Amino acid sequence: MDKPDYDVLNVLALKKMADAPTIAAVIAASPADVEKRLESLAGAGLVVVAGGSALPTNEAEPALAATAAEVYAPVRADPEVEALDGRFETTNTQFLTAMSSWQQVDVGGRKVTNDHGDAEYDEKVITRIERLVGRLEGLVAALAAHDARFSTYSTRFEAALAGIDSGDHDLVSSPMRDSVHTIWFEFHEDLLRTLGRERTE
Amino acid sequence: MADVLAEGYNVFDTQKSPEGTIKYLSSPADVISLIQSGKLAEHILLVRGGTTTFLAPALSMGAIGVITMSGAPESHLGILSREFQTPCVMTAHLTNSDSRYVVGNTDETHFEEIARELDGKRVRLDCTDNDTGRVVAA
Repeated sequence: MDKPDYDVLNVLALKKMADAPTIAAVIAASPADVEKRLESLAGAGLVVVAGGSALPTNEAEPALAATAAEVYAPVRADPEVEALDGRFETTNTQFLTAMSSWQQVDVGGRKVTNDHGDAEYDEKVITRIERLVGRLEGLVAALAAHDARFSTYSTRFEAALAGIDSGDHDLVSSPMRDSVHTIWFEFHEDLLRTLGRERTE
Repeated sequence: MADVLAEGYNVFDTQKSPEGTIKYLSSPADVISLIQSGKLAEHILLVRGGTTTFLAPALSMGAIGVITMSGAPESHLGILSREFQTPCVMTAHLTNSDSRYVVGNTDETHFEEIARELDGKRVRLDCTDNDTGRVVAA
């Protein structure tokens, strides 16, 4: 598939379900163009549209993997990317732990839902999350040197962190918003696809 | 005492105790047809976990309960299930089998056995315990 189609299908596969304006916002394309590409991807059996939203079919992942192998061959051969990527798994584990401590607090060895009544605790977790997002900067920049679309992750992280700083704490982990967790998760999946690796767990 | 069919990590404590027929979802297409069928809320969803990130649309569309055969409560899926407050039992194993999930060293037969035993069963999730989530025959 050609690169503009890849960019649309890639974002859809990362979001699992999305409409054209949502995809357009991430890849800086017009919603009308994305709409047209979704239609042609649907014709190719890579996308289905249900209730106004598009979803990737079973065939989407293998098709993306095949295109990524060609388009991102130079990224996969870049020693700087490889070195930075080597440190990502550790950062990712720390990030998931930080997210869990945002959602739940340890009370006498028992995990209970964080009611966000302890501002000092929440601030500490937010500071940790900001630091972990900061650790992705090098990797995002190295990827963006090959394909400029990766720099949108930086822009999105900045927007989410700025929102959190101004008190919009849904932007930490809400799956319905462009939260730090949403962006991080998409970046992780995108990274795996770009480098041609499988998710471990 | 109710019959516990399987148990695993409880992702978060909740008094919600969803009841439904277990549906095994093995691919994005399974999730799409379930959403299109309009019967999402009748089922407890069973997935392999770990790599099954395709479950997200089902969660946002109102899935009532989830069982995974691998993965940890700290994983992406665990985080999502807490956000949506969807009761979730992770890395579930059958109580009548000795087979257990081991990271990086689990035979296909382990997953096949769980899917075979649980798919189509009418169950209720018990997620009241801090550590263990239970799949109880309903």
